[in-house]
Amino acid sequence: MTEFWTELVLLRDHLTATPIASIAITLSAFFAGNVLFQKMGRPSWCPGILLAALLVVLLLVVLGIDYTRYQAGASWLVLLLGPATVALGVPLFQQIHHIRALWKPILLTLPPAATLAALYAMMLAWLAGATPELLASFAPKSVTAPIAIGITEQLGGSVPILMGGLLVTGVMATLWVNLLSRWLKIDDHRVLGFALGINGHAIGTVRAFEISPTAGAFASLGMGLTGVFTALFLPLMWMLLGL
Amino acid sequence: MNVIKGFLWLLGFLLLGDLLVTWLQLPISAGVVGMLLLTAWLILRGRLHTDIAAVSQPLIALLAMLIMPGVVGVFFVLGDYAHFWLAAVLALVVGTLLSVLTTLWLMSRMMPRQPPRESDDD
Repeated sequence: MTEFWTELVLLRDHLTATPIASIAITLSAFFAGNVLFQKMGRPSWCPGILLAALLVVLLLVVLGIDYTRYQAGASWLVLLLGPATVALGVPLFQQIHHIRALWKPILLTLPPAATLAALYAMMLAWLAGATPELLASFAPKSVTAPIAIGITEQLGGSVPILMGGLLVTGVMATLWVNLLSRWLKIDDHRVLGFALGINGHAIGTVRAFEISPTAGAFASLGMGLTGVFTALFLPLMWMLLGL
Repeated sequence: MNVIKGFLWLLGFLLLGDLLVTWLQLPISAGVVGMLLLTAWLILRGRLHTDIAAVSQPLIALLAMLIMPGVVGVFFVLGDYAHFWLAAVLALVVGTLLSVLTTLWLMSRMMPRQPPRESDDD
């Protein structure tokens, strides 16, 4: 019996010696998470990616696979994040007519909104005694993940903490936009979409597409511009603050 | 074949972005610079590049899967950061409330009215 067990452990160690097992775990959890997400009726409080991540955690714990070993294998897949970030230039280009038509209100609202999204988070976290590492992990919390990961790495933050922050922020932004727009009696879909994209990155954008295609287009635009603006402004501010 | 060609274009822009970041010592990630270069090039070109469009769509659809391993990490480091729970709640819940409020207020001020209703309010 114990011999059989040792055999199994050896087999597991053999399989996880190459990145293939990690990649297979990631892909299968991603698909299973997606199916589960559809079955649950696409709830906005629980993004599909969270379900998939929890499935991976479950698999790693049950199979006794070391997290760092999984991460080393999955990094082969994550390598694609670079070209995928570049690919975001295509939807940005497709939104260019919106930018041309509304450049003035965009110029007046996007930079302060994106700046404040980062500043509010940093100020509040700083008041609660957060370390510089934690501040660097929360600062890009409203930025779409592929860009935010680059920013946090530049600033010296923790990528796992950032990812958790992004998930919570996306869900909260969706909730607050729903509640506050009712309270402020705002029903302009362009404004709602923009607010969802600027504050809630991809999670907010998904919600915006459920409101209307116009809201979705403005959310993608808000998300893209917030990402670009924050990627340029945060590292500069970091240098000025001397963090 | 189109997808491979498009992918090569993306890698080209990524490498170009990396070159610029390294030479100019920019505090920005190579991917973001590559994205901006691609956007600028498409604007100059005036139309979409079919090979790049062919590879961008599936890659963007995969983004959620590419960032998922990072999300997995949260559950393994959460214990180390547990005593910062207040900072996290304030930054993520209250911070997002404030920034949504600011954005909605700014936007509804600045955005030209789409369906012209009463012109005399505000």
